[in-house]
Amino acid sequence: MRRATFIAACIIAAMAILVPVLNLWVPADSALHIPDHLVPLLGKYLCFAILALALDLAWGYCGILSLGHGAFFALGGYAMGMYLMRQIGSRGVYANPILPDFMVFLNWKDLPWYWYGFDMFWFAAIMVMLVPGLLAFVFGWFAFRSRVTGVYLSIITQALTYALLLAFFRNDMGFGGNNGLTDFKDILGFNIQSQGTRAALFAATALTLAAFLLMLQWIVASRLGKVMVAVRDAESRTRFIGYRVEHVKLFAFTLSAVMAGVAGALYVPQVGIINPGEFSPANSIEIVIWSAVGGRGTLVGPIIGALTVNAGKSYFTAAFPDAWLLVLGALFVCVTLFLPRGIVGTLSEWWEKRPQRTAAQAPVASMEAAQ
Amino acid sequence: MSKRGSILYLDGITVSFDGFKALNSLSLIVGQGEMRAIIGPNGAGKTTMMDVITGKTRPDEGEALFDGNVDLLTRDEATIARLGIGRKFQRPSVFESHTVWDNIELALEGNRGVVDSLFHRLSPAEMARIEEVLETVGLTAQARRLAAHLSHGQKQWLEIGMLLAQEPKLLLVDEPVAGMTDDETAATARLLKRIAREKAVVVVEHDMSFVRELGVRVTVLHEGAVLAEGSLDAVSADPRVIEVYLGR
Amino acid sequence: MRRLIATLVLIVLMIVPARADLQSAVDALGSAKMDALEAVIKTLAGEPGPVPATVLGALADGKLYVRKSDQKVVIVAEEAGGFALTDPVTGASAGTVAAGEVSKIRINNALRRAIKAAAGGSALASPDPAKRLEAAQAVLKSRDASALPAIDAALAQETDAKVKAALQLAQAAALLGSDRPDTEKIAAISTLAATGSRDVLPVLAGAAEGQGDVALAARTAISGIETSLAFWNMGQNIWFGISLGSVLLLAAVGLAITFGVMGVINMAHGELVMLGGYSTFVVQEVIRNHAPGLFDASLFIALPIAFLVAAMAGLVIERLVIRPLYGRPLETLLATWGVSLILQQTIRMIFGPTNREVGNPSWASGAFELGQLSITYNRLWLVIFSLIVFFALYAVLNKTWFGLQMRAVTQNRRMASAIGIKTPWIGALTFAVGSGIAGIAGVGLSQIDNVSPDLGQSYSIDSFMVVVFGGVGNIWGTLVAAMTLGIINKLLEPFAGAVLGKILVLVFIILFIQKRPRGLFALKGRFVEA
Repeated sequence: MRRATFIAACIIAAMAILVPVLNLWVPADSALHIPDHLVPLLGKYLCFAILALALDLAWGYCGILSLGHGAFFALGGYAMGMYLMRQIGSRGVYANPILPDFMVFLNWKDLPWYWYGFDMFWFAAIMVMLVPGLLAFVFGWFAFRSRVTGVYLSIITQALTYALLLAFFRNDMGFGGNNGLTDFKDILGFNIQSQGTRAALFAATALTLAAFLLMLQWIVASRLGKVMVAVRDAESRTRFIGYRVEHVKLFAFTLSAVMAGVAGALYVPQVGIINPGEFSPANSIEIVIWSAVGGRGTLVGPIIGALTVNAGKSYFTAAFPDAWLLVLGALFVCVTLFLPRGIVGTLSEWWEKRPQRTAAQAPVASMEAAQ
Repeated sequence: MSKRGSILYLDGITVSFDGFKALNSLSLIVGQGEMRAIIGPNGAGKTTMMDVITGKTRPDEGEALFDGNVDLLTRDEATIARLGIGRKFQRPSVFESHTVWDNIELALEGNRGVVDSLFHRLSPAEMARIEEVLETVGLTAQARRLAAHLSHGQKQWLEIGMLLAQEPKLLLVDEPVAGMTDDETAATARLLKRIAREKAVVVVEHDMSFVRELGVRVTVLHEGAVLAEGSLDAVSADPRVIEVYLGR
Repeated sequence: MRRLIATLVLIVLMIVPARADLQSAVDALGSAKMDALEAVIKTLAGEPGPVPATVLGALADGKLYVRKSDQKVVIVAEEAGGFALTDPVTGASAGTVAAGEVSKIRINNALRRAIKAAAGGSALASPDPAKRLEAAQAVLKSRDASALPAIDAALAQETDAKVKAALQLAQAAALLGSDRPDTEKIAAISTLAATGSRDVLPVLAGAAEGQGDVALAARTAISGIETSLAFWNMGQNIWFGISLGSVLLLAAVGLAITFGVMGVINMAHGELVMLGGYSTFVVQEVIRNHAPGLFDASLFIALPIAFLVAAMAGLVIERLVIRPLYGRPLETLLATWGVSLILQQTIRMIFGPTNREVGNPSWASGAFELGQLSITYNRLWLVIFSLIVFFALYAVLNKTWFGLQMRAVTQNRRMASAIGIKTPWIGALTFAVGSGIAGIAGVGLSQIDNVSPDLGQSYSIDSFMVVVFGGVGNIWGTLVAAMTLGIINKLLEPFAGAVLGKILVLVFIILFIQKRPRGLFALKGRFVEA
């Protein structure tokens, strides 16, 4: 398992170099050239892969099925969006040097206090991690301490993202209401539309994913990682040998939320918009299926799942727009019924059951015992 | 016996669920290093009593002290476990997706904090301790296997091994031989007796021949309270016990 | 016009004794000078019966003329080739004349106002109760003291209770503006205060200015009314809350069985509600095209059909998806979410993505007033309907053999099967019943909501909240939770707005679940966590 993770991290890191090179410096008529529109699309997929990886830490390793991870993703995205909005400066439609266009439109006179500081990148970068992390910490602290588990936890995380969805739709919140934040101009002084910036954003996303992958490999292999799996499989047993289950869960949930926030922050400049739709419960539950398809409780699985499902989505929504939801629905049903361990889980199970090898290698965790 | 010198002191513990009294003013004292068997028909309150001691259930009233002076009723499961009370469940409860070795490692006495766990590396002393425990419960050969692949009896032993690795002062063992073969039962009795040389043990059991094999003081629970206490022969002769067990 | 005149004639004939004075007053209109006209108008308005109103109306409209030949006052209607004349007092036709043979009685703006005030007074004597009511309410608004004699007169002979009540208020209002003694005014204030209505507040506010017993009484009355208005307002919000609660109850009650009692988490529950809504739509379409007369019965026809459609869908879901995942709630959650996507998209492909119109039968349209409450019939029926569904379900669970078996299976599946209950069948049937009830809920909700493929989604989270808040395994909890959440939501709305109110309720539930993870009416005991 450990080796598979390192190989995956290396491939992703190589993509960080290869894709920009093939896009920027290989001539357009070459077979190896990557067309311009594909770069942000691939970048978007990698953001989703980070998100799926984040969810997998909470769900696959610690048994916390969050149906609200889209909220952390969106909060990270909004934090980045706020920075990008303030970078527009006086180039907006109303040419107000301080207030974003939508605030001028709503007749606001002053910048709300929570928008202060977002003109500085370092501040926004901290907020990208702090806001989702803090929300997850506070929410998790209450929930895990009260031993809200299983489907109850899933349902209240869904309620959480639903409440945020409703809140961000309100104009009074000061986040652009229905339309969200968009029309970004540049990031760190570079034109956000230029091909060079896009390639750089892609590279940053790929490197972040590779770094997260290695970090999670380290965590999962540590004793804490083993405790997480123990919590997932037999929560009360873990408690009776003296571990504070709520602390372990809180760690996994908060770290997972921070990673989701980073994914959101990388996503927004590449797609050019963030709006309240990202908070919709349907989005959050889709993340779950990415992890499930790839194989929860593995590190490579969620990445493969996010990439395949989203590539499938792009294909179907273009070729058979009506059929996509049917396919997605069928995917949920079939994966849970016939492929409970996902692509990677099933493959590695098959690998270990080969007759010439003993089961000496640590196999993928079985989830059945958790429930 | 008084609070002083006892490892476990329960006095007037009452637990009710929606009016039904699972424990009715239960009082029980277990001495330091003592091994005690608890018997009683279904619904006598054995498991609920374990739940109270380990912090899973809060009683409506009563007093529960550990080691003569530590109040158990204000502490949660993890704290109680760290105080030195180990519990084995009725149904074997091990971490199935971990290896036998990892199961023991997780239970190993030591710091349980999140950050400590994250940076922890096994020391040679700890490794030796794990091997020792595996030896004691007879699972050395299975160390690298997944717990899920063990037989039922082996899982029971693994769980006892995990208890030992915790280095508790008091072990609560709930029906350790349920579903075991006769050979396994005898082996388990020997194991428990060996453990009882160093630690206090409370065993809840239905199996009378097993209790006889242990040869220890017996407490009979009935309807949430202590019905009789003494040697197995003495309580077996008690007419009230006979009535409860054989029906009226 | 002719019929109206004929009616007028009849009425005029009934009040013959007063006719002499009336005639002279009318004649005076023709002979008086402009500056004396106002006095004449007042005199005329003081006369009883409907004639003054007719005459003054005609005067204001410029249709009152004087016949040059004999100075007789006539009402004129333009006709081809001249003017048709009517005797204003008797209402009899007075022939047709050329335009030059009559001259108009001219009035100015000041007179027009006088007429208006006077006409108000005389409309009080109109034979039409609706007109009298309107006139009384106009006086209540204008607080014109000069209308007092007319009101007194009208009140003396009023028989219609509703108009009488309005007249009493008008009398009190006019009295406050008059120079009558304080004792009468204070009595008037207490008459006004007794209504507790928002309409009398300006009247009382007028009297509350200044010093004295009257002002004091008025101020006391105002604060009393404001308190009672706040009370009614609260009542109205509570009614809205109950109404919302019944919607939540309908959406959640099926879930109370499948999730609450059986412990099966069905994310497609909302879509089963949606299927019920579409069943209603299809039934109504068929009725519209083939038997329009049955439209009022359409909901009753839709009920069993919606139940069957949703129950069949539920049965298929149970067999194909839920059974294989028994005991693995998180997987069930994901798989049924997939089912919900499939159902939504299938419906979207069949019926299109837009809203479909489901009509209200006539008995479920309109509204009525209860005290200061306004209650619409469709909401009232929905509340009743949700309670019927709830108690029917309660009866099935607790009073029937099927319910007994079902509870046995859900409490201890193995034991139930050991005593010979066909557990798979009971499980499937229970799920089908829960689903069917979701379908029935869809029929009810189609009356107040748009029927669209997204119908279910909007109720999905809410209904889970209700069941979780109420406590799993207890259907009374579902009832209490639905009503509590509905009422809390509506009581919050005036302060926080609709969206923020909903957010606050969600946050409240999230916090509540932290405090009591098993809901309001949690089962206790050591088997709960098993």
